[in-house]
Amino acid sequence: MIRRLIARTVVASLCAAAAAPALAQTGTITGKVEATPPKYLAETVVYVKQAPGTFAPKTAAVDQKSLTFVPHVLVVTKGDTVKFLNHDNVAHNVYSPDVDAFNLGTFKQNEERTHAFTKEGPYSLLCSIHPEMLGYVFVNQNPYAAAVDAKGTFTIKDVPPGTYKLEVWNSHLKAPEKTVTVAAGQTVTESFALKR
Amino acid sequence: MKLPIRFVLQLSLLAAVLSAPTPAGAIPAFARKYETSCLTCHVVYPRLNPFGEAFRRNGYRFPGVDSDAVKQATIVMSQEANKKTFPNSVWPSWIPASVPIAIGFNGQAFGYPDKNASVPRANNGAQFVLDDLVAEGHIWAGAAVDDTITLWGELTFSSSGVDVEHAQVLLNDLLGPKHLVNVVVGRGFPTLTSFGPHSSFLGDIRMTNVPVTGIYGLSTDPFTLVDNYNGAEVTGVVRGRVDYSAGVSTGKNTFATKFNSENWYAHAGFKLGGMRLDGEGSPGPANAMKPWAETAVTVDGFVYHSREYFPTPGVTPASPTGNSSLSAGGAIRGQLGSLELDLGGYDQKHDRATATLGSLHSDVEFAELSYVLFPWMVPAVRVERIGLRPSGAPDVYDVHIMPGIAFLLRANIKAVLVGNIETTHGFALDATGAPIPWMGGNADWGNFVMAPRATSAPTSSFGEFESIALFIAWAI
Repeated sequence: MIRRLIARTVVASLCAAAAAPALAQTGTITGKVEATPPKYLAETVVYVKQAPGTFAPKTAAVDQKSLTFVPHVLVVTKGDTVKFLNHDNVAHNVYSPDVDAFNLGTFKQNEERTHAFTKEGPYSLLCSIHPEMLGYVFVNQNPYAAAVDAKGTFTIKDVPPGTYKLEVWNSHLKAPEKTVTVAAGQTVTESFALKR
Repeated sequence: MKLPIRFVLQLSLLAAVLSAPTPAGAIPAFARKYETSCLTCHVVYPRLNPFGEAFRRNGYRFPGVDSDAVKQATIVMSQEANKKTFPNSVWPSWIPASVPIAIGFNGQAFGYPDKNASVPRANNGAQFVLDDLVAEGHIWAGAAVDDTITLWGELTFSSSGVDVEHAQVLLNDLLGPKHLVNVVVGRGFPTLTSFGPHSSFLGDIRMTNVPVTGIYGLSTDPFTLVDNYNGAEVTGVVRGRVDYSAGVSTGKNTFATKFNSENWYAHAGFKLGGMRLDGEGSPGPANAMKPWAETAVTVDGFVYHSREYFPTPGVTPASPTGNSSLSAGGAIRGQLGSLELDLGGYDQKHDRATATLGSLHSDVEFAELSYVLFPWMVPAVRVERIGLRPSGAPDVYDVHIMPGIAFLLRANIKAVLVGNIETTHGFALDATGAPIPWMGGNADWGNFVMAPRATSAPTSSFGEFESIALFIAWAI
């Protein structure tokens, strides 16, 4: 019993020791975005414009609940697939006229459609059956991007060390890009002021 | 000469009803839309400050991108991204989440210090009249459906019924630079000056009306320059300093036969100093505590051609007679901080307007000197003159002087206390050559009401302290 406990402790310690250098090899970009007028703040993404490497495709999801796209803004990487769900008791349609336009047709409750995003850029998500519905999928070249929270703060984790162009996208407003240098194990802080 | 008291009273009341449109422009629906105080746009409402005038000229839109300033929740009818899918989608628009309406009431009371003045003389020697203390109720509507199209409406309720005073669709920024070309379609005031029609602290409308065919008893609904007419107007602001308008309207066309009135008008103005006419790029007021104050001069001019119809006098069955008029005039507003002098006038030529269907020239002059003593108190004095120069009859004129104070009890509750002093130099004549009372003015509480006395000759000159009027209004 004691031997088994010692063995588990040793294994756990070795695993932790192995993982520590990997975490220390990346950094974090964090900060805050302010918007004038503030009502557009929710539609904001901060992203690293170009980062070297290839990134394995992943799958994310956008749901439709109470005639609303959830989340309102989804950030994915080029090549990712998004599942569009429908948990309303009415039929929906999802389409976008932006970048690489698509239309997923009509699908009813508990059905889903998928779409692979192969081109970068912001995509408006619309529903032709419920024209008031609006959401966004922001497709970045790399996974180092994040939508802001309700207070305008953002955190981009696991960024490899290096110097990058840090940009911000907003549905209505603009702000100049910034240059950030990410160091391993460090957190760099930047802020943006969006306006017309 | 003995005047029928009933006749005088009827004409006095007619003057009160006809001489001026009712207050409009103060609309708390906009306060709710932008979550801003009435005082953002108004001094003593409905009188607009420079920002409010720019908001009005811009088609009830804030400078910049209007929707940026909107705080009220909206329901999207079609998303902005649908511009890319048009014509397979409806063009983007929205509506306010709550009905964009406001309500208000107003009326006036009169005291008559001199029982021998015209109205008490015709009204059993009355010393005060409260009949119109609550004279009108209003429902206003003001909204935008996107950043370029706005809607404006007003229903007025009174003892005479319900009147659609305004119902306009404003199509803004149609061509060229922003604010250059806008089209207004529906019912509303013709734009004849660079400022809003309710641009008087003491009265209602800026420009004094003269209902010529009403004075001569030809029409019970006479044409006046400023009233609510169906029509279409092109308007705009050029480079922030010049504004213009041109339009067609039905004018007064209430005779049952409904002839086409074919009215047209045009206006141009120029502002030197102060905030731009469109409010764009404004650094804000020089004194933040006095957002109404600026140093500026605005000059404008207009022409207006109208044709109205009325029953041909003495002809049975009734048949219409037309009267064409051509008006030309202008105004100057000079502002030196809180001190303002606003003056103007026009000449109006009619081809058939006297009781005997003769031609006539009328001229109208007005001047209002005001000082915004406090944001809630504006003492002022207004002087107006109406002159009539009928063919084959003596020239006559009447001068109306209104000293008074406009108060804001709260931002949305106002009172105006004014004295009405009038001196006449003759009267218009009816078909028998007998003198008849004056009509016209700028407000229901400040009309021309002088009536001939029993001993009056057609060219009699005398003055009267007509009344002390208290106007009260609130809107919410």
